[in-house]
Amino acid sequence: MKAIDWERAGPWVVGTLFFCLIIVLWEAAGRSDLPFTTVMPPPSEFLSMVVESGFRVGLGSQAASLDEAVIATFGRVFAGMALAFIAALITGMLIGLSRFVTWCISPLLFVLAPIAPIAWIPLAIVVFGINNGTAVFIVFMGVYFILTIGTLAEIRRVPEEYLTVSGNLGASKWQRWVWVILPSILPGVFTLLRTNFIAAWMAVLVAEMVGMRDGLGAIIMMGRNLFNNELIMFGMLIIGVSGFLVDRILAFIGKRILWWRV
Amino acid sequence: MNSLSASHQMAQPIEVAQPRKVFELDHLTVNFAARKGVIPSPLQSLNLKIEAGRITTILGRSGCGKSTLLRTLGGFVQPEDTGGVVYKQRFMDGPTPEIVMIFQENNLFPWLTVEGNVKFGLRFRKDDTRDKAQAVKDILESVGLTDAAKQYPHELSGGMKQRTAIARALITRPRVLLLDEPFSALDISLKRHMHALIRELQENTGTSMVMVTHDVEEAITVGDRVLVMGGNPAAFLIDENTTDPAMLDRYSSNYLKLQKKVESVIY
Repeated sequence: MKAIDWERAGPWVVGTLFFCLIIVLWEAAGRSDLPFTTVMPPPSEFLSMVVESGFRVGLGSQAASLDEAVIATFGRVFAGMALAFIAALITGMLIGLSRFVTWCISPLLFVLAPIAPIAWIPLAIVVFGINNGTAVFIVFMGVYFILTIGTLAEIRRVPEEYLTVSGNLGASKWQRWVWVILPSILPGVFTLLRTNFIAAWMAVLVAEMVGMRDGLGAIIMMGRNLFNNELIMFGMLIIGVSGFLVDRILAFIGKRILWWRV
Repeated sequence: MNSLSASHQMAQPIEVAQPRKVFELDHLTVNFAARKGVIPSPLQSLNLKIEAGRITTILGRSGCGKSTLLRTLGGFVQPEDTGGVVYKQRFMDGPTPEIVMIFQENNLFPWLTVEGNVKFGLRFRKDDTRDKAQAVKDILESVGLTDAAKQYPHELSGGMKQRTAIARALITRPRVLLLDEPFSALDISLKRHMHALIRELQENTGTSMVMVTHDVEEAITVGDRVLVMGGNPAAFLIDENTTDPAMLDRYSSNYLKLQKKVESVIY
């Protein structure tokens, strides 16, 4: 019999077992009516509640199906991150191409960067209204500044030789940007995007909690308003699992598409 | 004994078979801009002629100014305007696509395959009417990388990386190839293969080459002419014609004599 490769399987087996252990303890606590389980009902209770309501969340005509909530949140977070990614690259490029732009933009960047994305919510609601625009904007604000500062750092890291070689082969300033600097910095900036996904994810949930009527954040708020702890627990579970899946997708892109290191 | 004292004097200009020159240093002086004023480099009012269609190797200790000299030949460093590098009857004022440089490392773009890196050399040449795919194929064959065409740089050995860089430089048909210690990171047997290859490519293409190195064997076997730089301000302490076939034999008396002479100056 072939022995199990514990080097590879070990982390998965141990991780899954520990996760199961916590659920078992949680369930046991629920059966023995420990006080905290009224605010934190165990999985068997909140999952059965969701199955009974046919995977729909909410009251009457306002109820939305669960997949709509997940899609709404995913759409917002991806749109915001994609826009921030592109905008950060463009900003980095403008700063790299012109010293005048550097002098104009740099102070603005460093003043705006420390403002928490949540602080933009009231303004965004006035400007965009209670709709996707606000949520996308909040995600954008949550990652744009850190990505721009990261892009500038990545540009400084591009080896001098690359620039000499490309200039030597006849590339103009603009061509050098497209064919050398951009591919040099893409993997690094993308890694930064992945590490900042958590920030974007939190930003969209907060936006949904305070402004939106749909999405995963709104599920939590609905649970709160209805004193429905099952709904809150379920919302938290979906948020955790979704976030984990997105991180895996981003990791896959980083490993398979933007795999090179400069 | 007397070889040591003699070698410290400026060598006499040698008779050359091909007097056609590619570069002429005319009172070349390079200073670097620093936060407070300028830092002079060892290159002060330097004069030299470099012949076309041959390999000139430049030896010297670290910091003797040989790399700065090479970068100046490429137009990447601007000298003081009291003199400069004469290229095609005029002072150079910047890089030109006719002069291509190869470095010790970081020559290749990691996101492109060997083929892609070589093809990159032609990407910005609009006047080139050759069939690009065929040109890439031919040049890869000449450096022995046909089988590695689809591989990425991180999958290559150090020698293959440098061969790719050489292929990319040569595909543009440059007039001059500048090599900045290109084989320093390779082991000795790979180095010797690369030496034979670079000589072969030079003979086939007629490209003028200037190579900076700190490896005496490399300088003598690869070069048609060996220059040893030293002192501050820098001077050419040795200037030897090494086209004699005996120089390719590391055990010939001529080779050993020159090696001894060079080593007495730079070590």
